[in-house]
Amino acid sequence: MRKRLTAGAGALFVLALAAGLSPAAAQIKIGALYPFSGALALLGDESFRGVELAVEERNAAGGLKGKKIEIVKGDAVDPSQAVGEARRLTSVEKAPVIFGTYSSSLSLAATQVTELASIPYFELGAVSDPITERGYKFVFRTNPTAKDFGAKTVDAVLDQIAPALKLDGKALKVAIIHEDSLYGQTVAGFQAARAKEKGLAIVETLPYSAKSVDLTPLVLRLKSAAVDVVLQTSYQNDTVLFFRQMKEQGFKPKAVIGAGGGYSMVDTMKAVGADNMEGALDVDFTQYRSNPAGAPGIEDFVKKYQAKYGTAPRSGHSLANYMGSKVFFDAMEKARDLSGAAIREEVMKVDVKAGTTATGWGAKFNDKGQNERAEPFLMQWRKGELVTVAPDSAAVEKLSLSAN
Amino acid sequence: MSVTAQLVLNGVMLGAMYAIIAVGLTLIFGIVRVVNFAHGEFLMIGMYAVYLLSRHAGLHPYAAALPVVLLLFAVGALVQRFVIQKLLNADEHIQIFATVGLSTAFINLALLLFGADLRAVDVPWARQSAAIGPFNVLFGHVVILAAAIALVVGLHLFMQNTALGRAIRATAQNRYAARLMGVKVERIYIIAFGLGAACVGLASALIMPLYPASPTIGAYFVLTAFVVVVLGGMRSMVGAFLGAMIIGIVDSLSGYYIAPDLKEVVYFAIFILILIFKPTGLFGFGRGTE
Repeated sequence: MRKRLTAGAGALFVLALAAGLSPAAAQIKIGALYPFSGALALLGDESFRGVELAVEERNAAGGLKGKKIEIVKGDAVDPSQAVGEARRLTSVEKAPVIFGTYSSSLSLAATQVTELASIPYFELGAVSDPITERGYKFVFRTNPTAKDFGAKTVDAVLDQIAPALKLDGKALKVAIIHEDSLYGQTVAGFQAARAKEKGLAIVETLPYSAKSVDLTPLVLRLKSAAVDVVLQTSYQNDTVLFFRQMKEQGFKPKAVIGAGGGYSMVDTMKAVGADNMEGALDVDFTQYRSNPAGAPGIEDFVKKYQAKYGTAPRSGHSLANYMGSKVFFDAMEKARDLSGAAIREEVMKVDVKAGTTATGWGAKFNDKGQNERAEPFLMQWRKGELVTVAPDSAAVEKLSLSAN
Repeated sequence: MSVTAQLVLNGVMLGAMYAIIAVGLTLIFGIVRVVNFAHGEFLMIGMYAVYLLSRHAGLHPYAAALPVVLLLFAVGALVQRFVIQKLLNADEHIQIFATVGLSTAFINLALLLFGADLRAVDVPWARQSAAIGPFNVLFGHVVILAAAIALVVGLHLFMQNTALGRAIRATAQNRYAARLMGVKVERIYIIAFGLGAACVGLASALIMPLYPASPTIGAYFVLTAFVVVVLGGMRSMVGAFLGAMIIGIVDSLSGYYIAPDLKEVVYFAIFILILIFKPTGLFGFGRGTE
């Protein structure tokens, strides 16, 4: 008897709780899974700001399905924490969707949780190809992948650099150098494959640890091989080190191209020095110094960012996350409810033309969930600013290699 | 040939940098007998202190060395007094966990205070190359090499010729016997830990013009410093200095002749070989000192 009483009281308590919670349903919770602390925190936070701005914009315009959006943050420092936080966001916080992640290894781990729960996972910044190649039904990605980065860096040598130098691209001696974790390995692998396909001469391929305190041996090897063009895939510290030590050892290649990462950060340029960084090329997500004609809404984004955070965007990550969030919010708005199936149905119908979003990318998802209308842009450091030089529609200035 | 000579020269410069850090680690390990996993984070704290002093107080990074050395001495002494002291008789693993915990706490504190951005100070001439015949060295590196030699010589003289130095050596040799002879062992430990940390303070002021500070910068230098300490015999400062030179040169040569990503393989292989064949280190005191 007593047992039944306690059970009854328990049930009542649960009902009361549920009733107490129901006003909160006037908000839609979304999970935001990023590395907010630890080594990846800088770009994790920068990425998150894009989502935050998109949410504020949406809320100011009436919200989603008439409800305010509330962001619930999940801090993913490493893959195991990404899994834990993805579980918390979906089962404790009951977020119907998750936005993320900046880092590929975090994304690969977290999506395993959401896929099992049929909860849509919107990837806005991680570039590793396998994220959308595992046949998952509820993982969607707006940004271009490592393969696009690899292809774009190699193509830039043939299509932009060689013509600017008035030389035959195939006669240029090209070296691939990369930090030796997953990011560097992946991009460098795609670069090597693309170079082979296009008949580019790769004379050196040199991996190194991103935690090196001395890259002089590598610089001297490139110097001895008389390399013309260096393709580097790197984080921030190693980019700084490479540029400083290139100068110290008097190594002056005709062009240096980075594949995002450290090359896109304003802090890298500050640490290296604007003069030293002048002319360096970078293939990455759209940066905020792009031509609004090819990326409408970009000026407005920069203004809002400046107003909210009191500084110019630190990299293009926020912009990419902003653009992606908007695409998915539109799809969620149209979905009949916030179930995984309903959202997937709408995401599959998304059809945004290239050149109409703040990143200049379009949006059209293949059945694996990958956006097929996203491509990285080619940028160049000019007087301390990273300006877009290709594609033409978004270019602010023409590529110039006179500095080298 | 000239490339090889340049590489060796770079290796020596790199070695000098490792030497200053490794000497501090050797002091702490050799005397307090604690493996300080927070050593890299001491370096990080020092670099941020140098950054703040040069940015806000307008001090030249090299001039900031003095206040930062004092600051790090205080940090080290406090860590010893309030963390390690309480664990002196505990299991070694517990002491290691305490320093690992400190390291994580410091990294995340720095992330909280400074974010993950790189902070650099601008001392253009430190990054200028000086030409010695056909070779290049950076002025900043020459300063580090001079400081490393001065530090090792200075500490050696201090240890051999002063009463405090003798007390420190006595404590290192036998904690209990030293206590019986009237040495205040706890005080010696606090001083030794402080000195070890102060070395890193010096290193941070010298490294700052060459490398930007970031919360995880400690890991870049200190893993190598551990290898150096073992190579140098764990208690010998001259050993640590020579060990650092060897690692610096090996690092530089293997990066060029083998592959940049395999240089760690080379010097960790050396590390393992030493552990197998000469566990007391190349310049160790021999068995029985442990």
